[in-house]
Amino acid sequence: MRMTSLSTDQSPPLSIPLSFFAVAPLFLVLAAVLLAFAGGNPFTDPHDPALRAATHCVTLGFMASVMFGATQQILPVLVGSKMPASRLVAIFSLLPLLTGTLSLCAGFILGKPALLNLAWPLLGIAFLIFIVASLVSLMRAAARNDTRTAILLSVLSLAIAIIMGVLLAHGYATGAGLPYFEMITAHVKLSLGGWVMLLTIGVSYQVVPMFQLTPGYPKWLSTVLAPAIFTVLLSSAVLLWVDPYPDRIAGGLESLFWLLAIGFAAVTLRLQQQRRRRVADATLSFFRLGMISILLAALFSMAALFYPAAGIYLRTLSVLAFLLGFAMSVINGMLYKIIPFLVWFHLFRGGMKSGVPNMKQIIPETWMWWHYRLHAGTLLAAMSAPFWMVAARGIMLGLLLQGILLGAAVFTAISIYRKNVRLIKLAHT
Amino acid sequence: MKTIIEFMADSHKACDDEFAHAEEAVLNGKWEEAAPAFKRFHDAMIQHFRMEEEILFPALQSAGGPAGPVQIMLMEHAQMKDLFGQMAAALTGKDAQDYGGISETLLIVMQQHNHKEEQILYPIADHILAAQRETLLGRMHSL
Repeated sequence: MRMTSLSTDQSPPLSIPLSFFAVAPLFLVLAAVLLAFAGGNPFTDPHDPALRAATHCVTLGFMASVMFGATQQILPVLVGSKMPASRLVAIFSLLPLLTGTLSLCAGFILGKPALLNLAWPLLGIAFLIFIVASLVSLMRAAARNDTRTAILLSVLSLAIAIIMGVLLAHGYATGAGLPYFEMITAHVKLSLGGWVMLLTIGVSYQVVPMFQLTPGYPKWLSTVLAPAIFTVLLSSAVLLWVDPYPDRIAGGLESLFWLLAIGFAAVTLRLQQQRRRRVADATLSFFRLGMISILLAALFSMAALFYPAAGIYLRTLSVLAFLLGFAMSVINGMLYKIIPFLVWFHLFRGGMKSGVPNMKQIIPETWMWWHYRLHAGTLLAAMSAPFWMVAARGIMLGLLLQGILLGAAVFTAISIYRKNVRLIKLAHT
Repeated sequence: MKTIIEFMADSHKACDDEFAHAEEAVLNGKWEEAAPAFKRFHDAMIQHFRMEEEILFPALQSAGGPAGPVQIMLMEHAQMKDLFGQMAAALTGKDAQDYGGISETLLIVMQQHNHKEEQILYPIADHILAAQRETLLGRMHSL
């Protein structure tokens, strides 16, 4: 049996996750700025260039950055296998991810093919490196558990979503004749329903019971859920190319996807209700808000199937609930747990024997609660943004302030780490 | 007859329960409850460490089990004992804020540690110590 997960060297250097976490909030600020300069309410039209650019700021600049950094940290813990060449992977995925995202967003806003032609190879390289490194780590993993399966399927969904995205960006730049509608639909389904949902599911199987002391997920559910979601998504993506398009089967598959997502959210909320650790915890509240948002996103998408006349608005609301409500809540909660812990862990391991600041001294809990309230307010605004300009402005302000608050939290943690490292060095001289 | 994984995972769960009671009492400012709750948690953890350090790990090593991982587990025990000391000081000083920050930190260290033991070390123990399992569980139980 392999003993990899018990090695102390499994954890990557602190600078790796923190570099990713430090740049991610800047993209929330950028998304807010792009939306603010859109002119009019960008949430009324899903094809609005500013909305498309802002969405990619959030998904690539914020979400993918955090995921690139966090995956390096959590794979050793969850599946017992670290990423190969962690430093090289970090550098050669972070830089093209940042430059690629910036040029993609600029390309959308300015409508310049040259910028899109710069963006797709950069993003392609960033994700290729990340995906290959993740797959190597997952293949080498000693653990053969449901978490590994879910993360593996998440990475495969991401790979398909990125291939679609790269082809689409190339198509927009060159004006190539592509089945744009089908490809965009497949890109959205596999990135949100596949990458984001399956990754969250895989990580939740372990972190929900571990950190809130809840019962474990039922075994039948954790075995079936991720493969079922992946199969449904893949089938519905393939159906897009069937002519004539089988509306009823596609509607059935979409409903099935949402029922599976509702099942995950409902079971998670139930487990959290049964938690043995009853104290208030901002990261738990973020997570629960994320689960409630899955229910909201499902409600809006299923309503869109039954009332196609209001389809555009309902689907925009569903995406907002999914991205801002579900994905961002879970990410915020995760960051507020992982960042203070990593700073503590590296200081303790770095030889600081006494006076190591505890997690709540690194990022105060009141800070997290303020962010939580702000985030819940942003989500509330999002639920009326397609109809009300004031609410659309509310999202912009919310994203801006959240970016600043989260960025300040990361930089505070980094400065506390640096200050204490200096103290350790002084003590050794 | 329980396996080593089942026996030790039950012990982890019992420690988790005591952890949660102590933390809840402190954060709700119920200091009279908090002191005995922390003592119960501390005693449960120390007893669990003794089961491993005095019985299970030496048995694993004599049976040719892996030495490195056991060393890491021992190092993490020391890390947790250090945090217990800090929690006891916060309790004495009735500093709920400080206790909460340390217990939050301990929870992550403890859960990662338990996870590694339950996923890797105990299955090895069940495998290579199968013949002496009954005796070992009996000795750990009577500690």
